Amino acid sequence: MARHTVLGQWHRRHGANPAEFAGYEMPLWYPAGARAEHLAVLAAVGVFDTSHMAVLRVSGPGAFGLLQHCHTRDLGALLPVGDPPRCTYGVFLDARGHVVDDAVVYGLSPDRFLVVVNAGMGPRVAAHLTAHAPGPGAVVEDLTDRLGKIDVQGPGAARLLEPLLADPDRAFRDLGWFRFRGHFDPRAPEAGQVQWRDGTPVLLSRTGYTGEFGFELYVEAHRAPAIWADLVEAGEGRGLLPCGLAARDSLRTGAVLPLAHQDLGGRPFVRNPWTHALPLGPGGTGYTKEFLGRAALEAAEDAAWTLPFAGFDPRKVPSGASVRSESGRALGTVLTCTTDMGIDRVEGRIVSVASPDRPAGFTPRGLCCGFVRVDEPLPPGARVELCHGRRSIPVEIVSDIRPDRTARLPIAAMRTRPSSAPSPEEPP
Amino acid sequence: MKTLDELILPDDLRYTRDHEWARIEGDLVRVGITDYAQDQLGDVVYVELPEPGQTLGRGEEFGTVESVKAVSELYLPVGGEIVEVNAGLSDAPQLVNESPYDRGWMVLVRPSDPAEIEGLLDAEAYREHLEGIA
Repeated sequence: MARHTVLGQWHRRHGANPAEFAGYEMPLWYPAGARAEHLAVLAAVGVFDTSHMAVLRVSGPGAFGLLQHCHTRDLGALLPVGDPPRCTYGVFLDARGHVVDDAVVYGLSPDRFLVVVNAGMGPRVAAHLTAHAPGPGAVVEDLTDRLGKIDVQGPGAARLLEPLLADPDRAFRDLGWFRFRGHFDPRAPEAGQVQWRDGTPVLLSRTGYTGEFGFELYVEAHRAPAIWADLVEAGEGRGLLPCGLAARDSLRTGAVLPLAHQDLGGRPFVRNPWTHALPLGPGGTGYTKEFLGRAALEAAEDAAWTLPFAGFDPRKVPSGASVRSESGRALGTVLTCTTDMGIDRVEGRIVSVASPDRPAGFTPRGLCCGFVRVDEPLPPGARVELCHGRRSIPVEIVSDIRPDRTARLPIAAMRTRPSSAPSPEEPP
Repeated sequence: MKTLDELILPDDLRYTRDHEWARIEGDLVRVGITDYAQDQLGDVVYVELPEPGQTLGRGEEFGTVESVKAVSELYLPVGGEIVEVNAGLSDAPQLVNESPYDRGWMVLVRPSDPAEIEGLLDAEAYREHLEGIA
């Protein structure tokens, strides 16, 4: 029997097409359909119930040492805690260098951190952290069932939230990419920093899983239905759609973001598009800290390569299909393969519905895209075939998939009165 | 997702257990997928259809319909020659969702054995089949 999030009743009442995911019954899409939901996030705004994701609290004098040992990012970058504080994306590795899960770590203070991992992974990651603590003094608690999480994603996200927050100017001040503010726990010292208009404390994070501008909101579980309803109501006339897992998957793939166990599992975490999650030194060589799994990564000299690809039409193959050279030689396997419905080829080049230079009347059919794991380091532009049964689809190895994404645009440019021209922000 | 009561299953069509429909039009049979099939698949993003002129047997794969969720094979309800395919689906595959029994049709077949259509389900039998898998 699948579990439901606190928003499960809303999803059922609003015609969600359900699917079981990591033990939860979640919306795959709502009546508007996955294509409309995907496009809403590129052009307007979408809201996602992500309350199934697991949240751990790691606290105590040993908290920093534990996470610094287990997470791949150098968490010293989160300290001292700024205004607004920072969070960072990385992975937890085992001694073989394989991914236990990927995780965003939020630094609230030197002895208080939040760790957000995948749905259903809370107990396993908590056990992994507890087992590998380098010293005493860290307490790991699973807060998942006490929290609601709502992602508000798309270029209209800040404008949607402005009238719903008690003090949007304070909430949004200097809130760059991978910065956050506030807390969901009314007893936390940060709780007053971001409040819903009804006073509900919110942890507001400038992050997401779509590649587009937006936020992740963490609130106490019993507050989530009212906040979701406020968002949907405020989004009327703004192109807002509630979005399901299908749009989430196609958006994250076009943004070259991995799905942990499909794209990262079962092999050392090297030679993939996400090695920025490792604590690499200047020039991308050498590691700046010790961490669990480091020795295995340094020894992984014969590892396969994980590379992004994009096709020439919407056709796709299932995960696990084979990858062959144009001459039919076996090269590897398909990890993720989905259709980004907001892009198409224009004279060979990939163009998005959000591209400023898109042709007039551009209506994309969508492009197949995803990740392959292959035995050789194919360069961008290399052509390979994805083969499944009688189907053989030509695709191109690429360095990026959906162009003109908005995730890093400065928040000031996304508010009701833009105060500066958009330009990309640097990653933290 | 539609409930059984919300599904449109016209009485003048015949159906397969694989969720194709067939409509007799003179000595030809028009074929597509049912309202149930399009609702289960979600947004259709691509439809692969055969070349007109091919002759295929009953139950043979004549193409694929690709949605955001999956790639599904299409099986011919009656054997025969493909005399026409719906070329409009290459630019507007969403017609399969918007109009499964009309603008979203897929192929027009000249049956080799018109009696084969009698072996297909009528609307009532197809609805019972759906009740069995719901």
